[in-house]
Amino acid sequence: MEISPSASTAGVTERRGIPGASFVEDVETYLKQSGLDVNSSLGFLQERLQQYRVVEMKLLAQQRDLQAKIPDIEKCLDVVAMLEAKKTAGEALITDFEVAEGIYSRSKVEDNDSVCLWLGANVMLEYSLEEAKSLLDKNLENAKASLEVLVGDLQFLRDQVTITQVTVARVYNWDVHQRRTKQAVKEPES
Amino acid sequence: MGPRRNEINTLDNTTLRSSPLFISSPVEFLLSPRRIVLKMQQGEGSETQVTWEDQQNINKFGRLNNRYHELEEEIKVAKEANENLEDASNELILSDEDVLRFQIGEVFAHVPSEEVESRLEKMKEDAAKELQRLEEEKESVLAQMAELKKILYGKFKDSINLEED
Repeated sequence: MEISPSASTAGVTERRGIPGASFVEDVETYLKQSGLDVNSSLGFLQERLQQYRVVEMKLLAQQRDLQAKIPDIEKCLDVVAMLEAKKTAGEALITDFEVAEGIYSRSKVEDNDSVCLWLGANVMLEYSLEEAKSLLDKNLENAKASLEVLVGDLQFLRDQVTITQVTVARVYNWDVHQRRTKQAVKEPES
Repeated sequence: MGPRRNEINTLDNTTLRSSPLFISSPVEFLLSPRRIVLKMQQGEGSETQVTWEDQQNINKFGRLNNRYHELEEEIKVAKEANENLEDASNELILSDEDVLRFQIGEVFAHVPSEEVESRLEKMKEDAAKELQRLEEEKESVLAQMAELKKILYGKFKDSINLEED
């Protein structure tokens, strides 16, 4: 997997519903422009971080689902390939399959022309071997493509989180710096 | 059909030390799901400016760090798979049956032992290649991270901490 460089410019607004964090060039100008004092701006940034966290949980859950789905589809493809091989060889396929936990039964599968595919939502359809193969291939492709997009989203999201966290630190430090200089100015006078 | 992979950790909470603002305190926050801490510490009053390029470097470092941990997990899984296949092929040599039950999907198909042997060989080859690919990616990620560390430490010196706990 390639780590793509941060392609976002300093002013990217959003990606698929995730608000972009605008990079702050100079803390003082940022505070003046937004018209907020330090505490409100820190509060706003913290809120943003919370929102990002929520979105991240959602994306991670989706990623988990996809990562579980892909090996399943690959297993199905294996079985279909096996059936095809047996069909060309003209042999019957003898398998042991699970009837209940720990209990297996033997079956002889002849005339392998079609398979039934579970489509979800309590729906199962019968397909010929070629149709089944192309359907499964398509599903696999879609799953892999979705996963890629998802990973891209997560990377973008994490970048925005990092930018926001760095901004928080800089605003905070700037404030400390300000108070320190004010104190230093006061001291000689007192 | 529930999730089978290991759980992925989430971002830990941002800690903002609420100590009195007259005392300089480090603002800690976690840069990644793992333990890296990016500490922007108050220096002796000198405020190093963070440019967009610096920010991009920090972002990239974060991404690389994430990828590094993902790779560690994946390498662990790949190593296990390799070991299992080794064990299986050893068992195969020891056994003297003609027809073996080979797992395809959720069922065990009856497969002649020569075919099992060739299938197993292919699987071992693929698994070894995969493991090598992951190791190489890990090396590259580590190298890039070392580069970025040099750059970022060079600019920020003590104000930044890119190590893991």
